[in-house]
Amino acid sequence: MRGFGDLEAVIVDRLWNREGKTTVRELVDELRREREIAYTTVMSTMDNLHTKGWLAREREGKAYTYWPTLTREQYSARLMHEALDAGRNSSLVLTHLLEQMTEEESANLRKALARLAKKAR
Amino acid sequence: MSVAACLLLYSFGVAVLVPRPLARLTRKGVAPRLGVAAWLAAIGSVLASWTVAAAVLADDLVRNWNQPGHIASACFAALRQVASGGAGLFLQAALLAVTAVAAGAVITLAWRLVGSLLRARAHTHRHAQQARVVGRHVDGVDAVVLDAPERVAYCVAGRPNTIVVTSATLDALDDRHLGAVLAHERAHLAGRHHQILAFTRGLAAILPRIELFRTASREMARLLEMCADDAAARRYGSPTLLGALLALSGRMPAPRGALGSTGVDVLARAERLALPTTRGDRWRTQLLLSAATLLVVGGPMLTGVLAATGLALCGPLMS
Repeated sequence: MRGFGDLEAVIVDRLWNREGKTTVRELVDELRREREIAYTTVMSTMDNLHTKGWLAREREGKAYTYWPTLTREQYSARLMHEALDAGRNSSLVLTHLLEQMTEEESANLRKALARLAKKAR
Repeated sequence: MSVAACLLLYSFGVAVLVPRPLARLTRKGVAPRLGVAAWLAAIGSVLASWTVAAAVLADDLVRNWNQPGHIASACFAALRQVASGGAGLFLQAALLAVTAVAAGAVITLAWRLVGSLLRARAHTHRHAQQARVVGRHVDGVDAVVLDAPERVAYCVAGRPNTIVVTSATLDALDDRHLGAVLAHERAHLAGRHHQILAFTRGLAAILPRIELFRTASREMARLLEMCADDAAARRYGSPTLLGALLALSGRMPAPRGALGSTGVDVLARAERLALPTTRGDRWRTQLLLSAATLLVVGGPMLTGVLAATGLALCGPLMS
């Protein structure tokens, strides 16, 4: 599986910035204001994004209209949830700078750290 | 047969006896890199012992297929009479069963470990990819910025590897603090800490009853954080890194999901940043860790050679 192609990221980003549903034609027109791009390239990329679950679509007449399955904020929240939960029940491997703590633990830790930070100076 | 028996005995010895003293030795993180090496060597020697033991069993069985009594004699001298008394077929079946179980166990373990590593890799890469799409780029910040209220910084392996910080983290840190945090994360990525973690965690999940794997997985996570701390402190100085930890440990919104850590690990990390160990202490720990590593690496080899030449204690007992 290759990394997320640049164009895929651009397209998802554009759709997040637009309201409602978008056809391939509308997006191509928008993109062409900034660069030369083939209709079929955009079409196949959006098809890929639909397969990967980033975009939902429905047929309107001859063409599909697309929209993001989740908002950017929802995706952020989901990623954050996944990251904070990593290692407990999931196969996600990441290294946290700090673990999540309760208010009390955090306060105790902060006091100890402040003492140590003073000593280190 | 006696080689296999000795190796198994050795491996269980390591799995039971090593975790506690080694954990005590690596707890303070005096020489975190040596600590990581020692834990990996202990795990490696146990896994290697199992693999070689299974291979030796299988090899014995194949080579002595027509004289089951011969292999058995190497193991249980008393059975020799039974074998010559016409119980050869039964013995052969029993040996076949033992070998099959041993080989099956090793193959199953390898299979599940590979599966767990592949799953971790896929999940981690997917997360990195999504973070790159969802996150913003902020000028001067060599990381993906997610808009979120939690003060979080982490890195995920992927193509390319990705460092993620939240907008709340950026708000809480000044430039030098942020530099130290990013240096810490880059050290994780450069040292391929994810691969080590995925391996030890996978092993602990597959065989949770073996204390060596359980303890190693937990200690490894601490030690790798300390390795990354050292890298960041070398570049930005311990006080800066401490300051960053302090700024990030501020009030966080109620965390979602289960709570695991008690913050003890962070405190241990902060202590070693603030109060460097004395030279004598460092030398002692380095010496002991090196010795431990040599011992667990050399152990199975020595066991194997001694058993093969019949010099080991278990040699005369079993042959």
